Amino acid sequence: MQFDSGGSDSGLQSEINITPLVDVVLVLLIIFMVVVPLLMKGYDVGIPPASTEAAPAQNEAPQVVLSVGPTGCPILAPPSGEGLPADCRVTLADQEIAAAELPTRVAQVLGDRPAEKRVLFLGADDRLNYEGVLRIVDLAMSGVSDLKIEFIETN
Amino acid sequence: MRLGEASKMQSSINITPLVDVVLVLLIIFMVMAPQMRNGPEVDLPDTSKPSEQGDERSRTLVSIDEAGKIWVNDRQVAAEELGEGLRAAVGADPDPKVVIRADSKLNFREVRQAMLAIEQAGFRGVGLIAKPTGPQGE
Repeated sequence: MQFDSGGSDSGLQSEINITPLVDVVLVLLIIFMVVVPLLMKGYDVGIPPASTEAAPAQNEAPQVVLSVGPTGCPILAPPSGEGLPADCRVTLADQEIAAAELPTRVAQVLGDRPAEKRVLFLGADDRLNYEGVLRIVDLAMSGVSDLKIEFIETN
Repeated sequence: MRLGEASKMQSSINITPLVDVVLVLLIIFMVMAPQMRNGPEVDLPDTSKPSEQGDERSRTLVSIDEAGKIWVNDRQVAAEELGEGLRAAVGADPDPKVVIRADSKLNFREVRQAMLAIEQAGFRGVGLIAKPTGPQGE
């Protein structure tokens, strides 16, 4: 009988044909292997344009400046491991805080502003290590969404 | 009869060796592709949560290596010619996006000066490329 499962005389092909499945899986694999290494990750930052515009009006929210110097935050060589050294202290809106507090403090200062006004001016000393500066950018950006970072000159 | 016997033979082409060869070629190209990428080898900084910056073929890459030498895509330029090099590389792209791949051992000064030069060349905003830390970051 045709549906006799125990029959030894079944002429039907009883195995699943896996060839199309393998084809599809291989093509997907190839697509991902080619695309993934070409994707980049990073941080959008800017430099404020050399300003010919008028100074911000008095009633606007004050600009928030984060400064990082080599005495407060000694990241002169690439920081080892993850994060920043524990003794790294930065100045956010004239208050000296530990770098680890940056996400919460940035959220406090900028979180209630509309998204397009969330601008943090970051003055990082030229002598600091680039990786350390980028980790500070990372910390500041993790506190609040849609944060724009503008690098300003430190003197 | 001979003809009758022949019809019992497998009549389709055996594609397995063909597929083997094609897959090996594919693997070779995939291995070679990272070496064909633009610019020098750069040890990117590790950070915890970098955001998506898109496909590197759709961006203009400025690479700064450990020694502070600057590349625009695959061409080395002098620091003072970075702006011109960038404008040449961007060409007629109406919405150019510039990203900086800078080495983690650099001082911030080199990166900031490159950013200034990019800004002075008329590009607004850059992406600083990092690589995420953690198991998948290598």
